[in-house]
Amino acid sequence: MADNFIMADSVLLIDNLCKSYVKGKPVNDHISLSLGLGEIFGLLGPNGAGKTTLVSQIIGLAKPDSGRITIDDVDIIAKPGYARQACSFQAQTQVPINGLTAIQAIELVGRVRGGDTKTVRARAQELLHHLEMEEWTKKSAETFSGGMRRLVAFCMAAVVPGKIVILDEPTNDIDPLRRRLLWQEVRNLVAMGSSVLLVTHNVLEAERAVDRLAIIDKGKVVSMGTPASLKGNGGRNMRFELTLEPQAAIPDFPEFILNTAVTGRRLIGRMGEADISAAVQWARNLKDNGIAEEYSVGPASLEDVYLKVVGHNETPETNAKEADHDAVAA
Amino acid sequence: MTRLLRDYGLMLKWQALSSKTILPISLVVQLMVSFGFVIGLGFLYPSITPNIAKFLTTGAPTISLLMMGLVLVPQMVADSKTAGTFDYIWSLPVSRMVYVAADATIYILLSIPGVILSLILGAAYYHFGLHVSLLAIPAMLLIAMTGIFLGYSLAHSIAKAQITQLITQVLVFFIMIFSPIMFPASQLPHWLSDLHKYLPIVYMANLSRGTLTDLNVNLGQAFAVVGAWCLLGLAVTCILIRKRR
Repeated sequence: MADNFIMADSVLLIDNLCKSYVKGKPVNDHISLSLGLGEIFGLLGPNGAGKTTLVSQIIGLAKPDSGRITIDDVDIIAKPGYARQACSFQAQTQVPINGLTAIQAIELVGRVRGGDTKTVRARAQELLHHLEMEEWTKKSAETFSGGMRRLVAFCMAAVVPGKIVILDEPTNDIDPLRRRLLWQEVRNLVAMGSSVLLVTHNVLEAERAVDRLAIIDKGKVVSMGTPASLKGNGGRNMRFELTLEPQAAIPDFPEFILNTAVTGRRLIGRMGEADISAAVQWARNLKDNGIAEEYSVGPASLEDVYLKVVGHNETPETNAKEADHDAVAA
Repeated sequence: MTRLLRDYGLMLKWQALSSKTILPISLVVQLMVSFGFVIGLGFLYPSITPNIAKFLTTGAPTISLLMMGLVLVPQMVADSKTAGTFDYIWSLPVSRMVYVAADATIYILLSIPGVILSLILGAAYYHFGLHVSLLAIPAMLLIAMTGIFLGYSLAHSIAKAQITQLITQVLVFFIMIFSPIMFPASQLPHWLSDLHKYLPIVYMANLSRGTLTDLNVNLGQAFAVVGAWCLLGLAVTCILIRKRR
């Protein structure tokens, strides 16, 4: 077993995991990672990268072809029941709550997870209060928007949290205000003693929320570490971005701009602080000559790393990006 | 055991609350179908006698329960699979069979009004008497559970929801036209009547008639054969729902 992915006090350990649904087409290809006690760990990757398949194996919905998954040193491939008790899970799909009110749905899962009636009720009401959802407490789920159903699903995962809380795209469809509140609740889960495995392709949210992360692409872990360590990249800690005029040909980057990526009309690269003025001069020339529409220089973001490692075909989720920025920054 | 009962109660509550939106429409449909069935017999058999009406009416519970188990249940299960419901439910720390038991309980409770209504309406409309024995309760439960477990097995053994829907449509025809529930097996071609010796359908009809009327039926054999099919359906359901992808 390679040791570089193991955290001290790991609660979840995944070692060399392989899974394919069609022979010769691995969905998870020798994945190794660990989730530390009290850690928020992000699993990032484009659609179809194998993130949800990995989660499915952790909670016993799918069986690996090879490799090991342990929770508290218990082999949960052999004992999937232990994983279901140890993990509370917010699925990417909608939860079956039609006919139930928000409070009924949350309380039922809390009771199923072993909580007593009184404690579960108090915790459910606390979550609804924290997420400013009181007015939906006794409304039937049929009247909920997609975002509201997702928030209820989060509460169902958080009401009696497992040792590990797995959140699969928890903020999809949720408004910016409640995203902020939801991230606060995620941090509360950690304060209550849980570790969080966050599955997302929203890079900006992940950057603000996670302690460590792994980027998965085509079933493999292509990068892993803290957001800061992934962004460090040998002193090239500045991000350069250029937007071309429509129809303009892609110019050659100067030598000091490295790790370049092109997505549509956007050109992105990394450089050191010493090269800022030269980069600005180069960009200004392009703008004066009608090649570039605008440019910017700023601190590198995880998005740059993400774009670099998953290639040029994937654009990270940028919808509601401005709103996210405020929400996650809270 | 206490944990299992507790989980069963919670899952039952969950399923009951989920079903409450379809409960009123389900009752109205059952009322209409029961009433329509009884009146419709008179159209099919203009010179119907009370004895013929008794034979036909007491076959109705079998048809109704089989339709629920082999048509409605697979369709609902297929829909739930498509919606990802099972991925969520199976992730909870509850035995999967406990969930199936709660689900089956709701289906059985939903089907009771239709079964009782068709019997009462038939007896009143065609002036025949029912001789309901205490064995009618286990008999009806056994018919219902067998249908539900076979329905679960069918839906969970087929990956694509559309294929499940198609098969259930074929089953409707098989149950209604090619199964000796509303007519004697002797009216079928030999090969089909021989096939029905191994299928549970004719024995389900016998269970129904043997426990609701004074008609002479081999109840022991009917309980044994339908019981065996019920266990088979239960075993296959158990295996399929525990299977990981």
